[in-house]
Amino acid sequence: MKSRRKAVARGESAGDEWIAVSPAALRETLTELRDQQGFEALSFLSCVDHLAQPGSDDSNRFELIYELRSYQHRKVLRVRTFLAESEAVAPSVADIYPNANWDERETWDLFGIRFEGHPDLTRILMPDDWVGHPLRRDYPVGGEVVDFSEEHEMWETTPPQA
Amino acid sequence: MTETIPNTAGVSITRQPADHLGGEILTVNFGPQHPSTHGVLRLIVDLDGEVIVSVKPVIGYLHTGIEKQMEALRYQQGVVVTDRHDYLSPPINNLAYALAIEKLMGVEVPERAQALRVIMSELTRISSHLVWLGTSALELGAMSVFMYCFRERDRVLEMNEEISGFRMHTSYIRPGGVMADLTPRFVDMLDVFIREMPSYIEEYEDLLTQNPIWKVRTQGIGKLSAEDAIRLGATGPMLRGSGVEWDLRKTLPYTGYEKYDFEMAVEQAGDCYARYLIRIRELKESVKILRQALDGLPGGPVNVDDRKFLPPPREELETSMEAVIHHFKLFTEGYSPPAGDVYVAVESGRGENGCYVVSDGTHKPRRVKFRSASFNNLQTLETMAVGHMIADLIAIIGTTDAVLGDVDR
Amino acid sequence: MGVEELADSMPGVLLTTLNKLVGWGRGNSVWPAQFGLACCAIEMMHTASSSVDIARFGSEAMRASPRQADLMIVAGRVAHKMAPVLRQIYDQMPEPKWVISMGACASTGGVFNNYAILQGVDKIVPVDVYVPGCPPRPEDLLNALMILQERIKAQGIKPRV
Repeated sequence: MKSRRKAVARGESAGDEWIAVSPAALRETLTELRDQQGFEALSFLSCVDHLAQPGSDDSNRFELIYELRSYQHRKVLRVRTFLAESEAVAPSVADIYPNANWDERETWDLFGIRFEGHPDLTRILMPDDWVGHPLRRDYPVGGEVVDFSEEHEMWETTPPQA
Repeated sequence: MTETIPNTAGVSITRQPADHLGGEILTVNFGPQHPSTHGVLRLIVDLDGEVIVSVKPVIGYLHTGIEKQMEALRYQQGVVVTDRHDYLSPPINNLAYALAIEKLMGVEVPERAQALRVIMSELTRISSHLVWLGTSALELGAMSVFMYCFRERDRVLEMNEEISGFRMHTSYIRPGGVMADLTPRFVDMLDVFIREMPSYIEEYEDLLTQNPIWKVRTQGIGKLSAEDAIRLGATGPMLRGSGVEWDLRKTLPYTGYEKYDFEMAVEQAGDCYARYLIRIRELKESVKILRQALDGLPGGPVNVDDRKFLPPPREELETSMEAVIHHFKLFTEGYSPPAGDVYVAVESGRGENGCYVVSDGTHKPRRVKFRSASFNNLQTLETMAVGHMIADLIAIIGTTDAVLGDVDR
Repeated sequence: MGVEELADSMPGVLLTTLNKLVGWGRGNSVWPAQFGLACCAIEMMHTASSSVDIARFGSEAMRASPRQADLMIVAGRVAHKMAPVLRQIYDQMPEPKWVISMGACASTGGVFNNYAILQGVDKIVPVDVYVPGCPPRPEDLLNALMILQERIKAQGIKPRV
């Protein structure tokens, strides 16, 4: 089938099927999955930050996940794509799956991934004047320092193993 | 040219010039603090007279950083945090998280645990729908329904307290099984509740279903077509109200739901009244499932018997050295699922509530993402509300049944 | 002429009776402003419902508008985005006003020690009674209201020094 030719890899993780594509092939793959393979709905889209060491420039740092659901075939499929830290830009799929609109705003807000072609890419969960992207692994958890506790550094610093 | 009237009492009003005689667009701020008890939702509504021209939701006023918090806690500590994002159905959130961890670890819980999970999920569905019914009716003027619904909900919360010690945020369903077995008093309370609940549901129906005022306020309001519902990612009663037959308990069953005989509630009209009928039917079906689960409760253990996953019972610590070591490792470091990612979705009162966990092989997760039904259901607001009058907006917000803790996480 | 100006111009003996009267009146008709944010709001609704009835303590009217309320029950976690709104609502309430911080999140930040949640609403408004719990039982909130009522009755005419 056509999607296999464009996919970079396929696999299975704990019983969930996934395919990996490059960011450039993303829109085409999703349109095809929606129109020809019957994946009518996008369950959610999100990002995972695979930063290994703070400060290292990783070419596969951000992984975008698109979880597609087919009501007619009762299946789910995960589409992944990897972005480098220096080029955290992906094409927007808000016209293919309209509910990606808010999901992409949330990913921009919390991770700093810009979506090209999005109608209104502004912060959605954090205040408008917030600086930084909180869910990145090099952003500290924040909050109050718990004095005299063994784990007090946990809140001031990034989550372990960056 | 727009004319801005100075900010008074938190309402900002701007006026744009009229493009037809007598018409001008008034922008009204439906601020985060308002009497509809749906939480801190802010809407910026453009009005042409009383008719809504556009609705723009502004969310984030309850953003709690739950997903970041989970990255700093161990897997078993994370269970208490999962209770609190969709705060009207805590056990169902726990269930999504527990199923995800179990899928990663490749464990299957015993049958008694599955039945107990079904019992808690259905009790939660009932309590969540009762809050929806009570608050929606309250907003449209039917104040007695609010009192009646919360009276029943108190009974469900008392049962929660009996089985887990907590009224609301039970943390009862945990990876590996459930917190503890039932008590005889819980069985009695549940039995009485199942016998009496149908008469209470009849009471709510007597008050509302054929009530002409209720019908005028909800029929034809907030129509959502099936394609719009699917495209906008709406799930739950929003989707089933438009005729799409999709209920995760029936179509992709989990935790033993395939054993129980119940019907999916589907309506064709797609308006607020249809969604009301669906939720009332779901209340009745939940009572049916509870009766079957309670009567057919299998015996056996309630937790997986794996000492690398769950701590040993306290009595064993006095006699066995291995038990002490397991206890120590689990409570200081915690278990580490194999590296990988998994997504599990369950059907909550609002729709598809899911948990996506990414593990990198350590004792803390790399990423936990909650797929929240309310986040997607709220995106349908603009489609449903445009063209209606501002008073109908209250009915429409009510019918989305959005829990802002789930929207903002 | 308000009660406070009247009190300034009266002799001491009559003042104690007036103090008691005003304290009794204010204490027995505390009207909360609805400020339910998260899970604690649901327990606050239970406090208003029939089994634990807050109306018998005078708080029948949960006013939507802060200009008609004298008690703000902060029920739930306060995000940084919500903090200025909370302060604005507090400023819009007329004197005398009191604040009950309901739940662990409103009192100290609760379970959520992170970038998004204000670690305690007393960082932005003065709090009179703290109610611990996650969420506190409806009876706990009622207890807090009763403690507040004792304090209001003891305060008399001039609530804040």
